[in-house]
Amino acid sequence: MKSKSLEQLKKEYADIPIPPELDFIVKKAFKKERVNLIKKSSKFKGVSILAASVAAAIIILTVGVNTSPVFAETLSKVPVVSSIVRVLTFKVYSVDEENFQANIKVPEIQGLENKELQNSLNEKYLEENKKLYEEFVKDIEDVKALGGGHMGVDTGYQIKTDNDLILSIGRYFVNTAASSSTTFQYDTIDKQKQILITLPSLFKDESYIEIISQIIKNQMLQQINSEKDKIYWVAGGNSEGIPASEFFEAIEQNQSFYITASGKLIIAFNKYDVAPGYMGTPEFEIPTEAIADILVGNEYIK
Amino acid sequence: MPTAKNDIKKQLADHVLANKESYYRLAYSYVRNADDALDIVQESISKALSSIASLKESHYIKTWFYRIVINTSLDLLRKQKKLVLVEEETLCSLNLGDVDAYQDIDLQEALEALPPNYRNIVILKYFEDLKIEEIAEILNVNVNTVKTRLYKSLKVLRIKIEEV
Repeated sequence: MKSKSLEQLKKEYADIPIPPELDFIVKKAFKKERVNLIKKSSKFKGVSILAASVAAAIIILTVGVNTSPVFAETLSKVPVVSSIVRVLTFKVYSVDEENFQANIKVPEIQGLENKELQNSLNEKYLEENKKLYEEFVKDIEDVKALGGGHMGVDTGYQIKTDNDLILSIGRYFVNTAASSSTTFQYDTIDKQKQILITLPSLFKDESYIEIISQIIKNQMLQQINSEKDKIYWVAGGNSEGIPASEFFEAIEQNQSFYITASGKLIIAFNKYDVAPGYMGTPEFEIPTEAIADILVGNEYIK
Repeated sequence: MPTAKNDIKKQLADHVLANKESYYRLAYSYVRNADDALDIVQESISKALSSIASLKESHYIKTWFYRIVINTSLDLLRKQKKLVLVEEETLCSLNLGDVDAYQDIDLQEALEALPPNYRNIVILKYFEDLKIEEIAEILNVNVNTVKTRLYKSLKVLRIKIEEV
């Protein structure tokens, strides 16, 4: 009888309502301290394994090209990679101390006849990575002066598309200070015309911002409804506890994008831009028919 | 290559995320309101991260973090002066002498009337299902003290439990 009361009490305790923002607050607290929430979180195992294997593949590819002639040879037999316009790792900055690791790989585009474009891109890559490296070295000094800490930076690149027409190269920056934040930046080149393709240049006017944003919002809501583990910060979504000011409103005029080999436009976001960190760097494929009316042509986007 | 320290931070993050509801309820059991309980969880995480060096082995993450949540809860109560400081042993012995005091009172109220260090133990043992040894670790007292306090608490609550 009496211990039943304890059971009752235990039940009451277990029924203490959990506010929806608890999850957000916990994640934010760790994010603030830059603790990675992706790895080893069993709840999102699928996501983390995927992220890990992608990362491993990238590392193998870039290191492979640089270190093993045999590997490079093998790779050059793959038709896609053997196009005349190539991307190679130009320079590697690295720091390897007990608590500080930097692994900065600078890509270099080769084989473009438009040397101005090639040089400007390569200079941009080198410049940005050099700056990153210098900032990192400076940060290390600051952290050391404060007596410890752990930091790492890992950047490299990923070739998204390399066909006869276009080259889409994505550069990633993983900044680790106990946790990690990832950003991706894409450049897409028309290999035949030898020009850099920008998002605005694909469309007749600026209406694409509104149209694509709406498509993305719909896709977010659709994913939230069909897949349990998906969370996006979007109005009408499942992100209780997130202030509405944080919701995804619209893409930037020069939102990160790339074009797939089959000619699909992919809009990319950085980690934490539109979703919690465990969602990684979300990407949305924009159905070509939905934007057909506003495209300048169907040369790239099919 | 992640350092041991970095690794432990990740383990902490994973552990807290997986058990956030337990920690929230524990905090709530002290402050009885959602906003304060959320603050405690947040504050506990930041305390834990800044003192991660004091955590030697990941094996102790659970008890260590429970301790931080309890201490943070008590701090908040102290700040809000909601907590009337009474010598615990005195209060408890008074309660013990007054066997009929809670006869008609809701068990919840009786539990809340227990001094924090007694209430803790009941919550951790029976609601959070922790082992006596773990509770001893969390509260930084020895196993016998936990048993004694648990026994006294139950007596005050007039709950009969076969084994402690």
